[in-house]
Amino acid sequence: MTAARLWRWAAWVLTAVIAVYLVAPMAIVVIISFSDSALLTFPPPGLSLRWYRSLADTPAWRDAILVSLEIMVITAAIATALGTAAAIGLASWRGPLAVAVRSLLMAPLVVPHIISGAAIFLLFDSWGWVGSMHALVFGHTALALPYVVATVGAALETYDRRLDQAALTLGASPRVAFLRITLPLISPGILAGLLFAAMLSFDELIVSLFLSTPQLRTVTVLMWSNVFGDINPEISAIATVILLVSMTLLALQWVLSRRRGPSVMPGLGR
Amino acid sequence: MSQTSHDSHRIGRRSLLAGGATLFAARAAHAQKRFEGQRITYVSWGGAYQDGQKKAYCDPFSEATGLRIDQDGPTDYAKLRLMVGSGRVVWDVVDVGAAFMHGAEQQNLFEKLDYSVIDRSRIDPRYVTECGVGNIVFSYNLAYSTERFTADNHPRVWADFWDLQRFPGKRMLNASAPSTIEVALLADGVAPDKLYPLDIPRALRKLDQIKDNILWWETNSQSQQILVSGAATMGMINNGRVYDSVQKGAKLALSWEQAIQSVDYLVIPRGSRNIAAATALIDYVTRPEPQAEFANLMVFSPTNREAFRLIRPELQEWLATNPAYADKVVLQDGLYWRDNLDAVNRRWTAWRLT
Amino acid sequence: MAVVFALPVGALLMRSASDPVWGLQNFRSLWEEPVYASLIRNTVQISLATTIGCILLAYPFAHVMATQPRLTRLLTLVVLIPFWSSILVRSFAWMVLLQNNGIINESLLWLGVIGQPLELIFNRTGVLIGMVHVLLPFVVFPLYGSIRAMDPALMPAAACLGAGPVRAFLRVQLPLTLPGLATGAVLVFVMALGFFITPALLGGRRDAVIARMIQLQVSQLGDWGMAATLSLVLLVATLLLLGASQLLVRSPARRVAE
Repeated sequence: MTAARLWRWAAWVLTAVIAVYLVAPMAIVVIISFSDSALLTFPPPGLSLRWYRSLADTPAWRDAILVSLEIMVITAAIATALGTAAAIGLASWRGPLAVAVRSLLMAPLVVPHIISGAAIFLLFDSWGWVGSMHALVFGHTALALPYVVATVGAALETYDRRLDQAALTLGASPRVAFLRITLPLISPGILAGLLFAAMLSFDELIVSLFLSTPQLRTVTVLMWSNVFGDINPEISAIATVILLVSMTLLALQWVLSRRRGPSVMPGLGR
Repeated sequence: MSQTSHDSHRIGRRSLLAGGATLFAARAAHAQKRFEGQRITYVSWGGAYQDGQKKAYCDPFSEATGLRIDQDGPTDYAKLRLMVGSGRVVWDVVDVGAAFMHGAEQQNLFEKLDYSVIDRSRIDPRYVTECGVGNIVFSYNLAYSTERFTADNHPRVWADFWDLQRFPGKRMLNASAPSTIEVALLADGVAPDKLYPLDIPRALRKLDQIKDNILWWETNSQSQQILVSGAATMGMINNGRVYDSVQKGAKLALSWEQAIQSVDYLVIPRGSRNIAAATALIDYVTRPEPQAEFANLMVFSPTNREAFRLIRPELQEWLATNPAYADKVVLQDGLYWRDNLDAVNRRWTAWRLT
Repeated sequence: MAVVFALPVGALLMRSASDPVWGLQNFRSLWEEPVYASLIRNTVQISLATTIGCILLAYPFAHVMATQPRLTRLLTLVVLIPFWSSILVRSFAWMVLLQNNGIINESLLWLGVIGQPLELIFNRTGVLIGMVHVLLPFVVFPLYGSIRAMDPALMPAAACLGAGPVRAFLRVQLPLTLPGLATGAVLVFVMALGFFITPALLGGRRDAVIARMIQLQVSQLGDWGMAATLSLVLLVATLLLLGASQLLVRSPARRVAE
């Protein structure tokens, strides 16, 4: 058992190191957001809240954060629903046509975003959609779909199909079998897809640049527009605020889900 | 800078200019607010840069003419191309870089400017083309850390930049070919007036000498960070970036020897539905007052020499078109890059991968 | 949705054969200019290295995440942290950490572990550190799902039957979690092909990638034909590569994640 223990220890240490690797840059960002210098220097020469104050004084940032969050939530919801349906459909579909459809669904991953962005812009522009919320949502959804299809597809492949058959044999209707057996079993895959769709939407710049207007801008676009002029700890303050908001939302969701029972987050409540 | 003189024009105009914006505003008001009820969209690079242009160019013009100017941005070349291609043009005046301007002009992406309305004599003719009027000039300078190098022993010219013995430490250059190729040739002893057409193999051989000591920047803010953090002790960087860093307390200085000058242009995308108002706005920007105002706000150099009268004295040493630097700086040849960017970029990329 | 995306993108990709004039001239210059092939090779190398890095880090991480329920939430939060800040902010933080006079090098020098600062940024190392950092969740979550879906009694059973931990892992856990691993790896590999801001900000001279070239062709040059050609080649090459990898992995079921 010593070898097994060593093995487990190694996994623990590695995980801790990886956690530090993931968190370290964000820690730097948070520290710099409290700098009293207008330069991005580390360590900051002194501490202050001036960048948070300047953030509060610039409504454009608040608007952009709200726009980004709204697009993220709607995109994640639509992409997850469509992507899950597509993955379930594809899982039981064979033949060359299925391969073609699958490749088509995966294409947005491979086609450079500037090409997809240009294509989506031309289409939406001809419909007069540029600068609208639904244009951004549809654009992001097209890009996010493959992630959901991939993760749900993997989950469908891993789980034991005999469980479905068992449920059907025991007299469950296909609908009940799906809701009670399939869905809970593939839920980690669905949730991973949901997270990926959300991440992609929130971080997306190229397509958003094509589709945004001054009245409707995402955080990424606003940050990008600021790059030419001025660079100061304000952008770290924004990152810190976003981090705080997202952490609070996740924590809140956990507290609520614990009260309700089965969690919506991966692997919780089981 | 050998500025072609337009004395006959200028003397007559100078009295008019003396009155400045007030006179202009008064005349415009007299004309019953020429563009009352009309609106156009002005597009630039966003952030503080565009805020400055709104304040210096757009707001006074709106005030005087009644034209409503909506701000959009950041300038996106792909979007501009698609807009002109599809014929649904919603941008009327756009601030674009020189490399893009020359190429896109040849590809017929812009309206030809009406120089009976725009008084091009106010601007150095090297900054005016058929479709574009230069509104600002910036330069890529050799900047260095004043902590690492003393006031009497610091790099001045690009040959110093290549001298790893005298000036040790990491260097920083632009990761794209334009301006980096020029700098390598200047370091190799090519005379500024013999620079174009660029001898690419020679430039790449020169770069081979120091390639292991170079950090490459891809965005302006990155170039600023690399120098400020001390990751590099000297580098090629936009003059405005050095000013910004020094204002915020960074220990940097820059040399004006062999600085590479480049121009931003105002253009009207082909298919704009507000050509008259857009043209009038561009004409207004050629005046000294808006140019000086923008220089005072953002420290970008004017293309109208008269503007220097109105720029705060302490800013003038930072400006690329300062007449005192005229025989030191080199103007980048936009036409050369228009015709050769594609080919040079392929060779450049191949060199990077070796 | 697929149609909404596919039609206009397909139309743009068609320009590879129609822009500036109809014909195969773009494909010919792709063939004649060795720089395009080198760029594609370079991009694939970076993507492969990133994918391998992600797999190596994701496995122990996802394993602990799946087998230690009390840590699951915390680790989920941790792996999601990188994406809440934009690449511009993140790349600056990496500079603070990795550059020659950065935190890591200063600490190691102070501890006497190294005598010379390590070159950790503005080269391939920096690119991989930055890319693995952002792309890690894309392997961690599918892998986590696969490990969760495994029968928890299998590994102790293997141990009881006398398999050492390494053998049990290779023979039992790895094959069973392969679908999740493959999904994540494929996502990361394909996403990494399109990355160009991270290589630009954290890389050095040799870290030129194809997506940057395509962007330059579209924006600066307006050369839609060549940009579409390169995109098309990238698309076809990726699909072929994925097909081949699928055969190699030889999963019994069809993998949806190609």
